[in-house]
Amino acid sequence: MSGGAGLATRPPEGTAPPTAGPPAGGPLPPSEPSGAVWRWRPSRVFAITLLLGLLVTAAFAVISLRVYDRNEDRLLRLRAREVGSVLTAVVPSIQTPLASAAELADATSGDAARFRAFMAPYVGPGRQFASASLWHLGTSKLAPMAVVGAAPALAALPAQMRAFFKHAERSQRLNIIGILGAPRPSLGFEFSTPGAKHGYAVYAENPLPKDRRSALARNSAFSDLNYALYLGHSRRQADLLVTSLHRFPIKGRQASTSTPFGDTVFTLIVTPNGPLGGTFFASLPWIIVAVGVLISLAAALMTDRLARRRQHAEQLSGVLDRVAAENHQLYTEQRGIAQTLQHALLPDALPPFGGLRVSARYIPAASGIDVGGDWYDVVAKSEGQALLVIGDVSGHGLHSATTMALLRHATLAYAAEDPRPAVVLAKLSDFVNSEEHDYFATVLCALIDVEAHSLTVASAGHIAPLLMNGGGGEYVKLKVNVPIGVTRDSDYEETATPVPPGSTLVAFTDGLVERRTEILDSGLARLRETATGQRLAPDDLVEVLTRDLASKDHNDDTAIVVIQWKS
Amino acid sequence: MEELAEDRAAEVVIDARVESTGVPLITINGELDSSNVATLEATIASVAAGHPAQLVFDLSGLRFMDSAGISALIGAAAKVDAVRLRQPSPAVTRVIELTGLSSVLPSEP
Repeated sequence: MSGGAGLATRPPEGTAPPTAGPPAGGPLPPSEPSGAVWRWRPSRVFAITLLLGLLVTAAFAVISLRVYDRNEDRLLRLRAREVGSVLTAVVPSIQTPLASAAELADATSGDAARFRAFMAPYVGPGRQFASASLWHLGTSKLAPMAVVGAAPALAALPAQMRAFFKHAERSQRLNIIGILGAPRPSLGFEFSTPGAKHGYAVYAENPLPKDRRSALARNSAFSDLNYALYLGHSRRQADLLVTSLHRFPIKGRQASTSTPFGDTVFTLIVTPNGPLGGTFFASLPWIIVAVGVLISLAAALMTDRLARRRQHAEQLSGVLDRVAAENHQLYTEQRGIAQTLQHALLPDALPPFGGLRVSARYIPAASGIDVGGDWYDVVAKSEGQALLVIGDVSGHGLHSATTMALLRHATLAYAAEDPRPAVVLAKLSDFVNSEEHDYFATVLCALIDVEAHSLTVASAGHIAPLLMNGGGGEYVKLKVNVPIGVTRDSDYEETATPVPPGSTLVAFTDGLVERRTEILDSGLARLRETATGQRLAPDDLVEVLTRDLASKDHNDDTAIVVIQWKS
Repeated sequence: MEELAEDRAAEVVIDARVESTGVPLITINGELDSSNVATLEATIASVAAGHPAQLVFDLSGLRFMDSAGISALIGAAAKVDAVRLRQPSPAVTRVIELTGLSSVLPSEP
């Protein structure tokens, strides 16, 4: 009988290879390093990924900063040029009134009244000039001929005055005296008639704003700039005309432009108040840095995690490989031991019998390490008689094998007393039922009388043997009684069958005919088909049956006994 | 004859309940062999724990059973006074006959 379990409460014994616990090769690696954040130390992968991420971030930030810088510089230069062009437009508003007044003085030989009338609209608070005066050049004593507005500050500075007018005499364009320090800082302009020697000069002054500071209106087109305007090419504080800046020297991003102004130039320095291209582009490098650092950190953490997982998996698979190898070795060893034991429990070789040829084989289950409960015996009885016993203890494993050994020897002992099959089985049944047991067994006993050409068979739940003669074969017709150990009923019946000379008897356990999901009759039909039709010697028939019927994936052990009568 | 693909695991559905007569009934549907007999054995063990006098197996839906299934049924028969089989298929009846178990595992009339 196959099956995973015995009669009563014995748990099923699996036939799969054992799955051992952790091997001696070392403990399993710790699982996921969760809950150990405080012990976390950055791995090399983490450091490399982070470094790469930060390098890329830095590169992008630097590029972005460079682009921003270049843009800001270009924008500032454009703005400086714009401011310069506005300044250029201012120059005629100074030069034109002075030039016209000089022409007028020339034409009117220095008419003071006409001069005053002409200049009056240009002088006063909120107008072009704070002071305008008419001078006659070439006289020994220089003094204004007519004054409109405040008295010129230049008049109080004789040395400077003489030097300026001496220079102005030879120059036929707008002359700038520069910044007059006293009584208050002013800028003086002069224009004299071109070509006229010792002609008239028109001189005007404008006071500089207090501290030279003048902020640009908030709503001005240039409110995003700070500026400093110098007279001449200098950037000295003394030449500063007006500025919106508080601190000097000017630091940081700046652009300068020069605008011609009479005999000199204005030098304009502009600096940005803030980012000219907009705050977004100014903060872009920092946004890149922030996002880049975050992405780098995340990537490094993720890489680190993946690397750790992989390492863990590799360790685990290494351990599993080792476990599998060890399990396989254990399995092979145990299977070897089990089969050695099984064969030790069965007869080595069957003794020769007069008039009979006998062959038998035990085939362990193809899978699993279990020893089985199948057994057989062929023993000589009185003259011309032999007893065949074949049996199968339910279940697998050592328990079944030892039970088998017990039943085998008990059967032989009872057969020694009285070889009649029904008697042997009845005694065996009583023996098994005499105590608590958790197994049952199918047993077939066949007493062979060689001389009488007869066979007496009794079966305790065992499948009838196949008897072949001539070209055909039939399963021996007999009454199959309950298996040994199932009920206390020990009524066994035996059936006598004539055996013609040359007949062959095949007794077997169910492993030979049973296939998964196939009914028993199919297996019986297959066995009969395989065994009949070919007149083989017992050894050869056992070989053929083993090869053809003991399937490769059977999970039950099998015993075969073939007995052939001489013809 | 009913032959099934060997590479397919046999499938069995087992149901246990108590009939109106008070007799426990275990219904086995599908195919029963050594690969799934443990399910049946567990069911038998839990039903037998109530020490019923009788136990009925409804085998009308059991298409196939091998000797492992027979072992389980014999195990059940050892735990109660009487086991009866309800509507076993001819194939199942044949296995029971071949193994001399007709008296131990009788079919219901």
